[in-house]
Amino acid sequence: MAEEHNAEWYEKKFKPMIYLVGGVLIAGTIISFAADLMGIADKWGFSNAILFGLGVATVKASTVIYIFMHLKWDLKFKTISLTLLSTVLFFIGMMALTVGSENDYMKPGGEDSTWVHGKHVPTADENKTEEAPSN
Amino acid sequence: METTTQPDVAHEDHHDDHDDHGHDNQHFLTKYVFSSDHKVIGIQYGVTSLLFLLVGFLLIMAMRWQIAKPGEAIPVMGTVLEHVYAHNNAGEPVFKDGVMSSDAYNQFGAMHGTIMVFLAVVPLGFAAFGNYVVPLQIGAPDMCFPRVNMASFWSFFLGCVVMTVSFFIPGGAAQAGWTSYSPLASVIPTDGQSFWLIGMILLITSSLLGAVNFIATIIQLRAPGMTWFRMPFFVWAQFITAFLLLLAFPPLEAAGIMQLMDRVADTSFFLPSGVFDTGSTPMAVSGGGSPLLWQHLFWFLGHPEVYVLILPAIGMVAEILCNNARRPLWGYKVMVAALFVLGFLSFIVWAHHMYLTGMSATVATFFQTTTMIISIPSVILLTCLFMTLWKGSIRFNPASMFALAFLPMFGIGGLTGLPLGFSFTDLHLHDSYYVIAHFHYVVAPGTLFAMFAGIYFWFPKMTGRKMNEYWGKVHFWGSLIFMNVIFMPMFIQGFAGLSRRMSDGGATYSLVQNPDVTSGALSDLIIHLNEYITLGAFGMFLIQIVFIVNFFHSIRNGEKVKNDNPVESTTLDWQTPTPPPHGNFLTEPEVHGEPYAYSVPGADKDYIPQNEPNRPKTA
Amino acid sequence: MEIPHNSTARPDTGLYNGKAGIWLFLASEVMLFGALFSAYLLLRVGAEPGNWSMGLMNKWVGAFNTLILIASSATVVLAWVSLKLKDWAGFKKWKIATVIFACMFLVVKWGYEWPAKFTHYDITFENDAAAKKVFAEVFDKKDYTDCEAAHKEIWEERYDAYNKHWKNVATKDKPLDGHIVGYWTADKDGTRHHHKVGAAFDVSFWSHAFAWRHDKRNKGRTAGGKRDTFDEKKIIAVDIEPAHGVWDKHKKHAAVIDRRYAEADDGKATDGGGTHNAVTIETSLISRVSSYEPAHSTFFAVYYTLTGLHALHVFGGILVMIYHLLPISRRMYESDPERFTNRIEIVGLFWHFVDLVWIFLFPILYLL
Repeated sequence: MAEEHNAEWYEKKFKPMIYLVGGVLIAGTIISFAADLMGIADKWGFSNAILFGLGVATVKASTVIYIFMHLKWDLKFKTISLTLLSTVLFFIGMMALTVGSENDYMKPGGEDSTWVHGKHVPTADENKTEEAPSN
Repeated sequence: METTTQPDVAHEDHHDDHDDHGHDNQHFLTKYVFSSDHKVIGIQYGVTSLLFLLVGFLLIMAMRWQIAKPGEAIPVMGTVLEHVYAHNNAGEPVFKDGVMSSDAYNQFGAMHGTIMVFLAVVPLGFAAFGNYVVPLQIGAPDMCFPRVNMASFWSFFLGCVVMTVSFFIPGGAAQAGWTSYSPLASVIPTDGQSFWLIGMILLITSSLLGAVNFIATIIQLRAPGMTWFRMPFFVWAQFITAFLLLLAFPPLEAAGIMQLMDRVADTSFFLPSGVFDTGSTPMAVSGGGSPLLWQHLFWFLGHPEVYVLILPAIGMVAEILCNNARRPLWGYKVMVAALFVLGFLSFIVWAHHMYLTGMSATVATFFQTTTMIISIPSVILLTCLFMTLWKGSIRFNPASMFALAFLPMFGIGGLTGLPLGFSFTDLHLHDSYYVIAHFHYVVAPGTLFAMFAGIYFWFPKMTGRKMNEYWGKVHFWGSLIFMNVIFMPMFIQGFAGLSRRMSDGGATYSLVQNPDVTSGALSDLIIHLNEYITLGAFGMFLIQIVFIVNFFHSIRNGEKVKNDNPVESTTLDWQTPTPPPHGNFLTEPEVHGEPYAYSVPGADKDYIPQNEPNRPKTA
Repeated sequence: MEIPHNSTARPDTGLYNGKAGIWLFLASEVMLFGALFSAYLLLRVGAEPGNWSMGLMNKWVGAFNTLILIASSATVVLAWVSLKLKDWAGFKKWKIATVIFACMFLVVKWGYEWPAKFTHYDITFENDAAAKKVFAEVFDKKDYTDCEAAHKEIWEERYDAYNKHWKNVATKDKPLDGHIVGYWTADKDGTRHHHKVGAAFDVSFWSHAFAWRHDKRNKGRTAGGKRDTFDEKKIIAVDIEPAHGVWDKHKKHAAVIDRRYAEADDGKATDGGGTHNAVTIETSLISRVSSYEPAHSTFFAVYYTLTGLHALHVFGGILVMIYHLLPISRRMYESDPERFTNRIEIVGLFWHFVDLVWIFLFPILYLL
């Protein structure tokens, strides 16, 4: 399954790749840092800033995984990509479930999420109960 | 191929092997204590876990006394406990006059759960049997990383020590349930709670190291000819179990670290704003945390954990049933597929333990659906095991009897889980004795029976002697009867609304103490059932004494086996010398056929070992 | 007894044992850090408005550490490549470089970043009036309304980078942050005495790491109460030097070099002579004093847990890599070069994972 390399390959092909990836990583860091300093969240909105930041991080991570960790020559590209993609999707799905479990638009009184610290507006029934004498 | 040469020959063969660690001159400590041989480690795990199984049982027996007779002193043990046990954090004696206080009840309860799950059943099923049998069954000389294996055992042992020590420190052991829910677990001043967290971190580390070892061994060290689909089903079960441990335990380790920080560094990971711990003053912590976060992280492990408890058992039952029914495993490939589906699905059902946390109906529906779907592979596994018996000539010995009883017992346990999986019925049944009955049926007459079966089955391979068959059958019938006496009434109690973790057995909510309440109070029958259950528990204990005596007595005085394969098994673990030497096989085995070639038409014996080259074409 | 496939790959899987083992281990580590990241996400989404301490991280330090780790990642691969080319000297060179970079990372984190946080305090106020009084003094203005705009600007820069919470958080909940440089006690007759903040553990650096704790909710507790510095030392007022570079911009006097001692009662100057940028706050106005430690807020709790666990992994990696530079490893290389090269590959894979975690940690904790 793994490809074998000879000495020349290491010297002539792999070492330049290492330097290239190093450059990509440094560039990625500078890009995301600069974007933050320039106030990307104000200009593009917070959600887009998250996507941008994590997107750059994903690119950096991919170069580390494929090249530095040598996976490109150990497994088929498709296998690695599918595994990584499923991990990411699994993580997103799980977070959606856990965060989503706190939201419930079907509770009485309307939209009321335990994460959102809004004010509870008492309904007509609740007002009546408050006036009832306590035993 | 004859492999019945004496162990001495194995040593002679290896004298000039430079990697041989001078076995003949090995120090006692290196050979039997700090050994990296998987068989020694397996036995170490086995002995330790069986010991803690007993300890966990003793804890619950003390609790059952209190449940059946709240406020009465425990005979004999009460005075012992009174002297051994310290005071709780408030300075009060925990076993005053031999009566179990609610603090003691909570401690025993939390530790019973923790010990049974993490110190007894998982180490026994996964680590003990897995370590001993899996390398043998795949034809490997040892595990992939023998020294990591040793580290795994000693980390486990340290975890056990920490957990045991926690009983004897001031304030006592952990008290917040085996689930250690915050905010109580973050806030309770008992140091035992922190010990619990440290113990858990050690135990989790041990499991992670073991899981890596198992998977790598199964991938890398299968003997020539041992393709994936020629592996015995037990190995497949351990393979999936190892993946569950590998991927599900780390979130609990993270959560454990966070809860430890809550306790030690005053963080508020799991403490919401406005927590009051004493009277009317709010706690001086930053707040902003979430108790639900702990629950999510805990149950993310907690659910795969229950499959970790059951899969090695199913694997063992498969081996023992095939062997004792003289039949191949029915639907081998389907069963393997079911294992994969079960493993994957087990990661997305966890919140069915959290239906009552106020989650939205949408998410509850999602988890309910996945929970229902996960019952399908479980049913497939059970059905295939049943079908394996079809047309079999079943041998009845303690091993096969326990394995056979596993089937209906696990069936009851699984079926009674369905009302719990539905969120609407779970509303009533959550945290009631119904839940206790359900999960005990799966683990106690389920997994434990499989473990007993495994002990009876592999005992001759490990020791060269058989356990006494008559007393084994007595042990079996007694255990079967008492298990049902203990746990069947709990279903009824649960339906009636008896809550779990009540130190007085529900007396507070009984009709006796609340004569004016017209509905919802627990009737006399429900409360009386507590006494019968307690009697059942003590009966169960007496029967286990039979087993313990049989076990130790047979090591030296049991009937000797006549050859290396007395059970006439097809799998490689029975094709080794008895007991297998260091390195397991004298020459590297070569596998030529399927793992369960029993009753093959055209063969001269009713079984064909996997390493037998001359076999009819169909096998 | 030899375990097969330790050095050479098994033909059908293409793996040697160690490689299978390390990838499995890394899968479990992904779950471990994934759980912590999801805890971060849940805590952040669930935080009350203004209760999430953003903007308190030093991004430059974080970026610097990122670059160091990237460099170490590259050098660790180069070390392995050298071994593949049978170049021991090259291996040693690149491996030592990796260890140096890794140590630099830890020195920056454990030697500068964390200690700087442990000595930096947040003071939160009893009520809005108390808060406004102090802030007015900080800005040298007569009335808070005169300085509200300046306060808003600072608060947004420090805590509310995306301008979401200023409106929702009361002034009393907007802390004043800086270094505690002195404190006041009173005699029975009411004479006030000024003290400078002393050294703890005989080390001036630790003069106020974790030393100052006050939470008014601890008052009158009989059980479960925590240490309270105000009670212990009978303090009636503290001198705080609002955070240099941030609050200073808005003061009358120029920005000052950070020092930890104000001029004391005894007339002796401190190390450098001050320009008295400290502000004195009566303890009656203070609700809570806390350094930027894990107990400060859930943000810091999760920050320290994440980066702490990551740093422990870095530390473990350093230990293993040092072991690979010792003579005992040279002996293994000479007796079984393939097996040793595989070991280096495995450590490299672990190291890259550590780098991967940081690649995600940096934007999530420092930038977003």
